[in-house]
Amino acid sequence: MKRPVAVVGAGAVGPWGLGRRGASTYHDVPRPSRQLHVSHPGVVGFEIPELLPNQDAGDGRQRKLMSQGARLGAIAIRDALLEARWTEGREGTGCFMGVGASGAHMEELPAVLEGSLQDRRFSEAAFGERGLYACNPLFVFQLMHNFSLCHGAILAGIGGPNGAYYSRGGGTWTALEEAIAALEESSCSRVLAGGTDSAHHAVTWAEFRGEGVVDSGLVPSEGAAVLALEREADAPLAWITSVGGGFMAEPPAPDAIFLSAWNPTLLGSLEEALGQHHPGIPVHHGRFGEALAAGPALTWMAGLDLLEQGYDSVLVVAQGVDGQAGHLCLRRHL
Amino acid sequence: MITVAITGLGVVSPFGIGTKSFFDGLLSAQSAVRPIASFDASRLPVNHAAEVPVPRIEAAWLAAGLRRKAEDPAMLQAWKAGWFRDRKVAWALLAAQEAWEQAGLRDTDLEIPMSLGLGLEQALLHDFTLIFEQGAIQWCAEPLATLPTVRLRTPVDLTVRALKAVLGLGGQPTLHVSACAAGALAVAHGAALIRRGSTSLVLCGATDAMINPLGLGGMIRLGATSPRNSPEACRPFDRRRDGLAMGEGSAIFVLEAEGHAKARGARVLGRVRGWGSTQDGYRVTAPRPDGAAASRAIRRALDTAGLPPEALDYVNAHGTGTPLNDPAEAQAIHLALGDHAASVPVSSIKGAVGHLMAAAGALELAACLLPFERGFIPGTVHHQQPDPDCPLRVLTAEAVRHDVHFALSNSFGFGGQNASVILEAP
Repeated sequence: MKRPVAVVGAGAVGPWGLGRRGASTYHDVPRPSRQLHVSHPGVVGFEIPELLPNQDAGDGRQRKLMSQGARLGAIAIRDALLEARWTEGREGTGCFMGVGASGAHMEELPAVLEGSLQDRRFSEAAFGERGLYACNPLFVFQLMHNFSLCHGAILAGIGGPNGAYYSRGGGTWTALEEAIAALEESSCSRVLAGGTDSAHHAVTWAEFRGEGVVDSGLVPSEGAAVLALEREADAPLAWITSVGGGFMAEPPAPDAIFLSAWNPTLLGSLEEALGQHHPGIPVHHGRFGEALAAGPALTWMAGLDLLEQGYDSVLVVAQGVDGQAGHLCLRRHL
Repeated sequence: MITVAITGLGVVSPFGIGTKSFFDGLLSAQSAVRPIASFDASRLPVNHAAEVPVPRIEAAWLAAGLRRKAEDPAMLQAWKAGWFRDRKVAWALLAAQEAWEQAGLRDTDLEIPMSLGLGLEQALLHDFTLIFEQGAIQWCAEPLATLPTVRLRTPVDLTVRALKAVLGLGGQPTLHVSACAAGALAVAHGAALIRRGSTSLVLCGATDAMINPLGLGGMIRLGATSPRNSPEACRPFDRRRDGLAMGEGSAIFVLEAEGHAKARGARVLGRVRGWGSTQDGYRVTAPRPDGAAASRAIRRALDTAGLPPEALDYVNAHGTGTPLNDPAEAQAIHLALGDHAASVPVSSIKGAVGHLMAAAGALELAACLLPFERGFIPGTVHHQQPDPDCPLRVLTAEAVRHDVHFALSNSFGFGGQNASVILEAP
């Protein structure tokens, strides 16, 4: 980063609800997953609470085209714009998001499969004759990764430089870095950066089980969070003074550290390493599970939350299930 | 300002394996749209597409193409794990191999950062039917089902895993999943990394292979595909156009700081001069008809290139051949280029190679190297009856000999992400 960047707004939805307040102190027990109860009964994790219609993304018809990641991303984009008070000039506002794997609702698939069977096996011919027509024509809009960015952009009228990066953590840090680069290179003067995802998807959970990460302690979560950034501001929420890969930042030492990792063993290792580098600095832990592409962005909210509790500077560190760590330094004042 | 040079190119296209077959195919003015051979599409309403002409990927064939022995442990492991059930993985490996060799890179370059555009995961419907009983997916049976390691769907980042495991590429990857704009955005991002001084070498491009039951079926259900089952399915900017033809393949570039390239004696194929991205922010199901946001992507590319519109000698259009996209793009080009829009030659290669989805932008940037390498602009196969709603100088099928110093390539994706990239001759 060439110089600090101002955070002028933030939008988020996580297990603690809407907004960022409470993100750093959220502490609940994982509960049986509503979204996985049919496919994988007994899985416990963290999910967003029920939302009121006026809190949710778009209207009911629009939400039918959205995966869970797209829905949550749209909420976070909307609320970040609201707090930043960016009501005009949105066609020039940039938006860079970490997004997850396809989050299409699985309710469509059984009918497709039923129609595609011949002698109890998948038949391409049967698919062409029957199975294909069993699914909603607009199903594909739930499948596409970039719609986790695009639905929110369409609802908000965002039109500037952009990027959708596949993320199980690392891509969301890339989104933030690219957003800052867009400001530095004058591609735009206002930019959104965030991540959105849900680990409560049947196929994603089956993949995690096969990869062994469930046995290693991954607790599924979900959410979305977006920062609204500008190069200059009179009274921003915070200043970003450093962002990058890895988990160490340059001096000066922060007043507090917020740390999140996808399993307890890794969390312990990171905390030990950070403790050696920043002895005596209080370390707060993320306790909202693993939200994949949303994970780093949710920790940024926790960092903002800590600043609002009175700390002057916070180092946020997160490492996702893809093994990529990132850090962010936030300061209340320069 | 650091100049971004292209020093390597690898292509796998519906015309075959390798850049030569791609360039030869474009010059032939033929269509690679043909009856689908990789699966039984006979009962689908659309059963023609532009496939890479390899109906079945065989292990020995792929290993040979990658200059590996058939018993190479990494290849065997990838094969056994089911990685090549997703054809785009193989296409990316072959394209990356060719780009690497052309650039003359060495083992010391294996940590090269990567910026890749990737298509959707492939849903493996066959796997689902093995755990499908009494009208429901029996998820409890999934862990016990006998399947390859890659099961139910291929991971989004499987291509990167394969590039690392098989080719040994170990650099930090950035994965662009911006649908039809992904390939162009990946190349633009790679160029940006070099121009910022973050790296002097990047491997970038894209790969996609959506010609499978659910991929093609989804496009059919959307109404995006032409209903013609013939090589003439896709007719960019033609008044008889009625939809796209699906394509598959990969285009991978080696981008390099030009000083770095010259210092090691690498041949410069071209330069990435400018880029721009915007979003329509309009509708899920359609592009902005006024082309306003897309025009801003083109203007941004010109601004970052430091060029006026009149500098452009060729426009490689997104040109999908759908009723809505082509006139919107024509509007965008007029808004961005002003008077020059009426005279600059425009073509779309989608009539020849289909729409490669996430890989489209990368392959079309590769097509922009055709005039640099062979002195010809590719034509627009199946463009015979100009549409008054698309008032551009659209070339017909035959390639045209033309000096091109600056070429613009547009990619306007599903969801409204727009990307424009300008290449400069070496």
